[in-house]
Order: sequence, then structure tokens, then C-alpha cells
Amino acid sequence: MDITIKNEGEKTLVTLDGRLDTTNADQFQSDIQPLLDLQKPDIDIDCTNMTYTSSQGLRIFLSLQKSVLARGGKMVLHNMNPQVKEVFDITGFSNIIAIR
Amino acid sequence: MHCEMILDEYRERQPIYNKIKDIVLDRLRSTLRDNNMVVTAIEGRVKTEHSLAGKLELKGSKYHTIDDITDIVGVRIITFFSDEVDKIAAMVERMFDIDWDNSVDKRKMLAIDRFGYMSLHYICRIPTSIYHDPEQPLLNELRFELQMRTALQHVWANMQHDTGYKSEVEIPMEYQRSLNRLAGILELADEQFSRIRKEINDYRRNVQSLVATGNFDEVPLNGDTFRSYCDLRPFQRLAEKIATINQAELYEDSPMPYYNILLRLGMKTIGDIERMRAECSDGAYQLALIQLAGTGLDIVAYSVALQNLCIVKILKLGYGTVGLTGMFSAIYGESAYNAQRAERIYQQALRSGLVLNDHHPETETSAS
Repeated sequence: MDITIKNEGEKTLVTLDGRLDTTNADQFQSDIQPLLDLQKPDIDIDCTNMTYTSSQGLRIFLSLQKSVLARGGKMVLHNMNPQVKEVFDITGFSNIIAIR
Repeated sequence: MHCEMILDEYRERQPIYNKIKDIVLDRLRSTLRDNNMVVTAIEGRVKTEHSLAGKLELKGSKYHTIDDITDIVGVRIITFFSDEVDKIAAMVERMFDIDWDNSVDKRKMLAIDRFGYMSLHYICRIPTSIYHDPEQPLLNELRFELQMRTALQHVWANMQHDTGYKSEVEIPMEYQRSLNRLAGILELADEQFSRIRKEINDYRRNVQSLVATGNFDEVPLNGDTFRSYCDLRPFQRLAEKIATINQAELYEDSPMPYYNILLRLGMKTIGDIERMRAECSDGAYQLALIQLAGTGLDIVAYSVALQNLCIVKILKLGYGTVGLTGMFSAIYGESAYNAQRAERIYQQALRSGLVLNDHHPETETSAS
């Protein structure tokens, strides 16, 4: 999976491309680690080209959201395709992670 | 001349007065926090030299020394409710040394046919048990004034101050009468707020006891009762069963987003949810089995149990895809995806026998 992180003003835009699973979850975790040190992070995650997420991916989103909220920031996942959204729906994570 | 001496002494003591104010504010804030008491505001000030000079000019002969002036340091606690003033007062009595001879309960000073300023004023000292610095004995010797009042009493006091009403002679009788009437309304409003809060608390306790004893049909469904019901973990067994499908971790989340769906489904009491749980648990598990088995997804949220119960209930009521779309839109907001998801679940339910007849959703009544 390709991960791009860009800063646009006070906002951080993360673009995910491909599958998020056990083979690249650790890489994803370490790539986003610097975002957890931001003061009041404002993170948009563009999931347009994300084709799948495993439970490992859900756990990373969960821990990222927890850290962001603890710092008074916000994180929203955008443009999720129906296959990825279904993973969030059937696990109940659509109610936990902010998705638009 | 003696007023000049008092002002000189005031200037000299100013750092001590500021320190007293800071210590008192700090201790009050931490004690309120420790006792889970929420107030509208805590504020403190040291009287300005200008204000003190004005006071001395007006009533100078009343004060022989600066120690006779007890409100140079003033702290005020403003509560939401009138009954909280007494609770705060009890807390203050435990914290500080109270000079009872100079403390005034202005709430009890008014004649029965009078309304107006009502506040509790304590003249206090900081006891050495709270703060002690052998280098600064004055911190424990100087007195400060602590006012306790409700937010509405505070409004009244400020209004009184702004209009010059306190001096009474400065404004015509008709305005005094209007202000008195208003004071009566504020007092009544304070009383009503306290009474309503007490009634709500009594109601909540009663409902919690009905929920705890399992008298679910007697408990009307509302946000409060649903929360109390959720505290009993009614969906735990189903959620655990769903989690076993993939030996998944059960992630704790709140079922509250489904409260509005339950109302839309016409549920009136907690007993209605219990009946849905009894009727739809097998279907809710079946649905989870269809969706999760073979996916390897080994984390599920606790609320999935209630999500699936609602889906099955909607299908059993014959609301079909329109009902499901309405449910998803109510929870996640309007989106074309909701209809796709509803259709997918509907087809899954048809194949697994959760829905026996192929309804035409366009002609069905929507749960939304």
C-alpha cells in the first residue's frame, strides 16, 4: 500500500492507495507515528484508492483516532469505497470511526 | 488622617492580600473538584486602592484599623441551584475558620414582604492546616470575605449595583417597586429550578430501580432509561456469540446511536427492547455469521449486537430495504451507499431465510 502524507495549512492530508493488511500495517503505523505528536491534529484520510482493510487496519485507525481526540484534534476518513466501508459496517466500526 | 494610615498599610500588605486570594481560590477549586461539585463560577479580587479610598471616605469613622475592614480580599462562589449554596457553605465551614460574629446570611435578613439581595457572606481566615508559612503569619491572621450565591442572585446583585438601586433614595418608588417584583420572580425561579431538579433526580432513581429489578414493562423508553438499561449489559451474550465467529476481540463502544432507531421502531418501554432481544437474537447472530465468517476480521464492536437486532427487527416488521435505508441514514446521514448496503443485507437475509417473502420495498412502510 502507498501512503502519502501532505500538510495543507493546518490540515494533514493522508492518502491511502491499495490494501491495508498485516503485510503493511506496521509500515502504516510507523508512517503515521509523527502525526500523533502534533498539537491539536486535523487529519483527513483519503480512502478513494484504498481497496481493503484488515482488522489490523481497523485497530490502527482506532488507535490513531484515540490519540488525535486526546490531543483535542479530529480525524475523518473520506471517500471510502463500498467494499472497505462494508468492513467498517459489519464490525460496527462505522459508529466508532468518523467517516464521511 | 487615620484613613491615610489605613491606605498606607493596605499598600504594604497588598502582596499578602493577593496571596490570600490565590490560596483561597486554589483550595476552593481543588475541594470542589474532589467532591464532584460543579458551580457556575468562582471568582476572587483584592479591593483596589481606589475602591478602598471610596469606602473610607463614606464610612471611614466606622473603621479604627485596617483589620476592621473584612472585605479587602473577596472571593465569590456562584452556584447553579439555591440548595447548593448550603452545601457549599458546609464545605467552606469545614475548610476555613469562620468569624461567626461578622458573617451574615442575608437570605434570612429580609422581612417576609421584602425581596431583594440574598446571599450568604462568611468572614473567614485560612487555618494553618490548609496553609502555613512561619515567615508570613498574616496569611493566617487576616480575614477575607467569602460570598456564596446562586447565578440568579448574582444577576440580581449586579443589576442592583448597575442601577444604583441599593441606595434606594436615588431612584423613584415606581422603579423600586418594579425591581422588587423582579427580585421576587428571580427568587421564585431559583426555587423552581431546585424543585424541578429534585423531581428529575427522584424520577431517575425510581427508573433505575425499576430497570435494576427487571420491571422492564413499567419503564418508559427515553434517553435516561435506555442508558440505565445499557448499564446492565443486555447485549453482552449476543455480542460475545458474534465475537466467537472469528474468535474476535470485543471492542467496547456505546449502543446509544441506536436509541433513536428503537424509537422509530415504535418501542415505548424497555420491555419492548427485551422482547426484540428475545425474538431477534437468533436472526442477529445468523446475520453476523453470514457477514463475518471467513473474513478473518478479528475485532468487532459491542454495538454490532444491537445493530443486527435492529436490522432483523426491521426485516421482521416487513419494512425491507426502505426501512433499512432509513435506519442507516438516521445513524450515518443521507448517502447513496445506504440504499446499496440495505439491498445487500436484504439479499443476504433472503438467501438465509431471515426474510421469508420477497416484499416490494417501494410499497412498504418505512421505519424512518
